[in-house]
Amino acid sequence: MSKPSDLVQGTLDMLLLKILALEPMNGFAVGQRLMQISGDVLQVSDGSLYPALHKLEQEGWITAEWKTSEYGRRAKYYSLTRLGRRQLEKETESWGRLSSAISRVIKLKEV
Amino acid sequence: MRPEHWLYTVPLRLRSLFRWAQADQELDDELRDHLERRTEECVAQGMTQAEAHRRARLDLGGIELSKEKCRDARGVSSIETLRREIGYGLRALRNNPGFSTVAILTLALGIGANTAIFSVIDSVLLRPLPYAEPGKLVMVWENLPGSNPHNTVSPPDFLDWGNRNAVFSGMAGLFDQRANLTGNWQPQEVALQDVTANFFSVLGVNPILGTGFTAENGQPGHDDVLVLSYGFWKERFAGDSSIIGKTIRVNGHPLIVVGVAPEGFDWFIKDSSLTGARPQMWTPWIIPKAFHDRKNVGRFMTVVARLKPGATVQQAQVQMNAIAGQIAEEYPDSNGNWGAKVVPVREQISGDLRPALWILFGAVGFVLLIACANVSSLLLARAAAREREMAIRTAVGANRWRIALQLLTESALLAVVGGSIGVALAFWGTNALLAASPRNLLDLRAVSIDMRILAFAVGSTLLAGLIFGFLPSFIAAHSSVAETLKEGGRASSAGKGRGMARSAFVVMQMCLALVLLAGSGLLIRSFIRLVGVDPGFDASHLLTFKVTLPGLKYGTDAKCQAFFGELLSRLSHLPGVRSVTMNSFPPFSGLGAATGVRLLSQPPRSLKDLPEAEVRVVGPDYFSTMGIELHAGRTFSEQELAEARHVAIVNQAFADKYLSGVNPLGQRAVIYMKSDQESESTPSEIIGVAGDVRQMGLDTPSEPTVYWPHPELVYSGMTILVRTSNEPLALVSAARNELQQMDPEQPMAAVATMEQLLGDSLARSRFTMLLLAIFAVIALTLAAVGIYGVIAYGVTQRTQEFGIRMALGAEGRDVLRLVLGQGTRLVLLGIAAGMVLALTLGKFLAALLYGIRPTDPPTFAAVALLLALVALAACYLPARRAIRVDPMVALRYE
Repeated sequence: MSKPSDLVQGTLDMLLLKILALEPMNGFAVGQRLMQISGDVLQVSDGSLYPALHKLEQEGWITAEWKTSEYGRRAKYYSLTRLGRRQLEKETESWGRLSSAISRVIKLKEV
Repeated sequence: MRPEHWLYTVPLRLRSLFRWAQADQELDDELRDHLERRTEECVAQGMTQAEAHRRARLDLGGIELSKEKCRDARGVSSIETLRREIGYGLRALRNNPGFSTVAILTLALGIGANTAIFSVIDSVLLRPLPYAEPGKLVMVWENLPGSNPHNTVSPPDFLDWGNRNAVFSGMAGLFDQRANLTGNWQPQEVALQDVTANFFSVLGVNPILGTGFTAENGQPGHDDVLVLSYGFWKERFAGDSSIIGKTIRVNGHPLIVVGVAPEGFDWFIKDSSLTGARPQMWTPWIIPKAFHDRKNVGRFMTVVARLKPGATVQQAQVQMNAIAGQIAEEYPDSNGNWGAKVVPVREQISGDLRPALWILFGAVGFVLLIACANVSSLLLARAAAREREMAIRTAVGANRWRIALQLLTESALLAVVGGSIGVALAFWGTNALLAASPRNLLDLRAVSIDMRILAFAVGSTLLAGLIFGFLPSFIAAHSSVAETLKEGGRASSAGKGRGMARSAFVVMQMCLALVLLAGSGLLIRSFIRLVGVDPGFDASHLLTFKVTLPGLKYGTDAKCQAFFGELLSRLSHLPGVRSVTMNSFPPFSGLGAATGVRLLSQPPRSLKDLPEAEVRVVGPDYFSTMGIELHAGRTFSEQELAEARHVAIVNQAFADKYLSGVNPLGQRAVIYMKSDQESESTPSEIIGVAGDVRQMGLDTPSEPTVYWPHPELVYSGMTILVRTSNEPLALVSAARNELQQMDPEQPMAAVATMEQLLGDSLARSRFTMLLLAIFAVIALTLAAVGIYGVIAYGVTQRTQEFGIRMALGAEGRDVLRLVLGQGTRLVLLGIAAGMVLALTLGKFLAALLYGIRPTDPPTFAAVALLLALVALAACYLPARRAIRVDPMVALRYE
């Protein structure tokens, strides 16, 4: 595996929110899914994943529920809230602006 | 945050606050679940169970650390953190019971003493007086330069002041007297205040029952009314509210009760009280015509006035000076040289207590500082022990400030627990003190701990916590991690910093302890001097009580004389009585009378410039009964004691001051106690000179005094003095019997032995001395504990070093010298600093000292020696331990 790119905290939040927007899932699964979708480029270390999730929960952007998992154990499932959806839109928008600004600079033709 | 966002998160925050344990468990479950999943994944990738498990753990980074991070990420509220820190703190304290107990007790003592003294100060100096707008109330006195600055006022002056001033909205006058209560109840003598009818309205006090005095009561014929004090109403009439409208016979006059004063209200100005007792009843007094015309000018009124809105005390003083000046010009004979003095009421009531109270407050503040220093030292020692633990925590990522916070929390916990115990101690202690101290000492009833005092206790607790907690946590937060983790890192810079801090503490403690010891020593020596003063008469086996004959029954001089004559005769025949006499104002009664005296042999002077003398009217055998020496001449003869023959006996102070170089015997003097004409037509011949007697207090020198036999000026109230062979109080019932046989309605009042009265006069000095001594002892103990701790700790730290030294040949003596050397240096430094401080602060103590200067060298030398000995003894104990160190053990010790 190539070394995963460092993820700035802000972008990590956005990515986690997006993944949970797709469907509610448990913390471990969120990490797996992120890796999966990004083709192993984006990887969150286990040690950073849960603090990030808890922060999102504290902000009220995601909410949690304890359910019995497929393994027969109790597991915590996160899902996006209405507030979270709005936050996601906001962050997506500002990410878009940022990335297009960066593209414009990069695409400048060198002389 | 937007409102709805905040609203949404509140439940979450609340939940994390209250169901913290549950939240914590959930976090735990979540992470464990993660570990299991990760393990399974790894196993699926081909690792063994064990390897997978390990991998999962490594990836996560440790459960506890993750949990911390999650909690941090939640930005869990500070309350949450605080709760956790408090939990850790409590556990830490529980694990170190010895340390905790010592620290808590030390703090309890310091804070308790502080709170106790403060509550007394609050009651006396700070609490608002129970009058409307008390800041606007002032006393107005007359004063004669060179004499009493707060002299009672004459009624004509009171009237003129009232008419001429523009700065007071109201002025009331009063005087107190003893009166006999008769009628349906047991005859009792009470303290009655005669007041102008506007008294209660000037003070702004409303009765809790009845209407009180109205302006009408100031009119002749309508002044036969009475207001009772709350205490008297409860005590004598059992708080019966139907007392309003009932009639009580006072001195034979029927008076109607029209009011009961509120609880806690009494108007007692000790300096000007003619009875020396708190008033139990008030009745209106209409100023007789004779005073309006200035025919009578006795000065006996106490005047209180209310400033107009916007007027200040200074303005009032200026105006009163002007008015007094006018009156002095208009009536030079009676008022020449007399001025007026305006004093705010609060200052009047508590003025002379102020120096003592503030000194005690300062002293107890020192004790608290010493206590805090001790606890700080203890904390520093503990911090040193945990230095490695702290360093490791910091190295592994714990926030430096969290560590500091933890230490602060521990300190705060100590302070809170110590403070609470302290408040309880204060409450109990204050009341115990008041119960144990003589009556009338602080003019306080139960001192209650109210909100303000609690606030003070809380404030001082927190302050103490900050003071002694700050230093260790500051040092801890700045300790260098790397240095500490080095092997044997005991000589870290933080350690040095701590060492210096502890040494500084010891020096400070020694310094403050010395100041307290010096102050205490000075007060003790002063008190001993005071007690050793010869009062001028024999105070042992002397029973005193007052008999005041009501005017209605004993309206003429002849009747009064006859009564007292018979009473004295009856009493002298009682078994156990050696002799009997009487005096209008005996020594240590706190009361007196004085007037101008004109010596006929000297050039005439105007009335206002006459020399002053105290005047006492005495019965037969006065000097022999009292044990007063006669220096010249003779005592009164039988005829002189039976009828007025115009003779007088003066005391040595009178002879020395006004008749020095002249034979006093045969001199004639006009003593202006009666009306001017009468006095001038009947000068008294001096027939004897008696020894000086301390009249007001052992520390007040004798004033020139003139003694008259009773017939010369027939007071209706006299104090009977009985010299007994045995215990004076045993004779009280027999004496009362005789009195009742003569007149069943005549009560006996103010029964006391002369020794009790003497003791009471010393009460305040003794009280202050005892308190300061207690504080000094506490301070000394704490300081000794402090230096013991520091030296003992030093010994423990250097055990290895001592072992090496001794292995290399050093003797026990040398090690001892090393240890004691350190201690001695600190002690000497502390004593030196203490001396300087004590000498500087000495002037504050001067007001309380009698016969001794605040810089008295022997006292200072003695206390310095005492402190040095105690401190060195405290150093010696751990030093001995150092000697006993077994080199082999020490070398292996780490």
